[in-house]
Amino acid sequence: MKGRVMADFHRAAVWSRNNLRKIGERALPWLAPVALLVVWQLASSSGRLPSRFLPSPRAIVKSFIELSVSGELWTHVRVSTMRALSGLAVGGGLGLILGLLTGSFRWAEMLLDTTLQMIRNIPALALIPLVILWFGIDESAKVFLVALGVFFPIYINTFHGIQSVDHGLLEMGRTYGLSGWALYREVILPGALPSILVGVRFSLGFMWVMLIVAETISARSGIGYMTMNARDFMQTDVMVVGILLYALLGKAADLLSKGLERHWLRWHWAYQQVR
Amino acid sequence: MSTVLALRETLMRQILADGRQYSRGVAVTIEDVSIAFDGRTVLEHFNVEIAAGEFVAIVGRSGCGKSTLLRSIVGLETPQKGTISLGTSKHVRPDVRIMFQDSRLLPWKRILQNVTLGLGATFVPHAEKVLAQVGLADRAHDWPATLSGGQRQRVALARALVHDPSLLLLDEPLGALDALTRIEMQELIEDLWWNRGFTAFLVTHDVAEAITLADRVILIESGRVVLDEFVDLPRPRARGSVRFAALEDRILQRVLQHRAMAIDARGARASTEENR
Repeated sequence: MKGRVMADFHRAAVWSRNNLRKIGERALPWLAPVALLVVWQLASSSGRLPSRFLPSPRAIVKSFIELSVSGELWTHVRVSTMRALSGLAVGGGLGLILGLLTGSFRWAEMLLDTTLQMIRNIPALALIPLVILWFGIDESAKVFLVALGVFFPIYINTFHGIQSVDHGLLEMGRTYGLSGWALYREVILPGALPSILVGVRFSLGFMWVMLIVAETISARSGIGYMTMNARDFMQTDVMVVGILLYALLGKAADLLSKGLERHWLRWHWAYQQVR
Repeated sequence: MSTVLALRETLMRQILADGRQYSRGVAVTIEDVSIAFDGRTVLEHFNVEIAAGEFVAIVGRSGCGKSTLLRSIVGLETPQKGTISLGTSKHVRPDVRIMFQDSRLLPWKRILQNVTLGLGATFVPHAEKVLAQVGLADRAHDWPATLSGGQRQRVALARALVHDPSLLLLDEPLGALDALTRIEMQELIEDLWWNRGFTAFLVTHDVAEAITLADRVILIESGRVVLDEFVDLPRPRARGSVRFAALEDRILQRVLQHRAMAIDARGARASTEENR
């Protein structure tokens, strides 16, 4: 009897210890950010950190709520997202098509790759004066800059992906009578897909960078405009809201591309449960 | 040539008059084939004839040109000289399938879709049947990444057999498997070959495997046939039997003798150089 009670007690102790460890593991990564927020808020409310310099977390949340209730925030977010997506569609689409072309055909590689590699080495932001000259400061300039930013990661990774498709699988496909489009669809494209998706993830990062720069230079709407406008009126809280929005959108884009990877590469060993 | 082949076929049918299927197999004639890569000769004036439905094993050390031979039959290499003809007609290319040392399954297709590669959806019931024959019916909808090496090779075998090949080329398909899985696979291949009657051409460096499976064992050294043995042991062959062991020993001796000669030659050359 006594033994059983002891055993129960022991089991309960082990159980609670395991649970505590689990909770601890979950909570640990959040410890530093939460501590930072607390210190920040304390510094602001005690007046040591002037709001002119950096607003308090509470002020930022307040301004976020105000902006979203008035609908102003969502207008800017929608405009920025549309710009980002159209730039991604144009630049990413071109990068994909050209990458497939140069990866698949020797003549296309000879014809285009050297030129594209030269252009790649020009920092995209160095083109801004020219871009303003060409497109003025309206939408097309921003879309162009975003497209330029996303083009190369997708182009290079598509090219690389096609080139590094397992030669053994190609050989096997041919001995099974696959050729032309069938070989492309069954072997080459799926084989290149992991690399293409790496390109997409890289390009999503560049997409926001280019958009921020474009919107900061000249815009009449969008998150960048909202932030720059706030600077003119010393609304530091709105500025921080804008910066945080970029972070959130970037994270959302990353999650989306990760989701795509998980779906399209579900066959990949990295996504397999070990049996 | 063809009369010799016909004679051989009748002979084999007499020897192995046991209900074995011959209908699907195709005869292979390799005449005076030479292949070189970057000036390095791999096969030189190579001649082999294989009767329809025969199981031939090629053994030899690595780099002796045995894989190249298989690859040129399936059209992955083009001989600089000579002809390879399948069957009597040179125009209609009978169905040839090759199995590699690695399974070469498409990782992005489920097992069943791998097996029906290059075929329409109408072949799905047939593919399921063949998968059942290799013992993997329950894995039809899994990804190749979840299979073991032996299971993958069985899928590769099923993929080749769905096409009902008249000639199956086996390029060391069991080389990467563990000993037990190997024996299982050998039994499976022998079984399927026996019941389907395709011509089988196996490349291996394992003499025991060659003797277990083949009607005929050919030894290649530096691109030439140096030994061509007919294995007339009853199937299924017991590895422990005296005749099996004697044959294995004879072939192994022949493989090693060549090496001994090469070492001797090198040694002699070295000593003459020393004497100078």
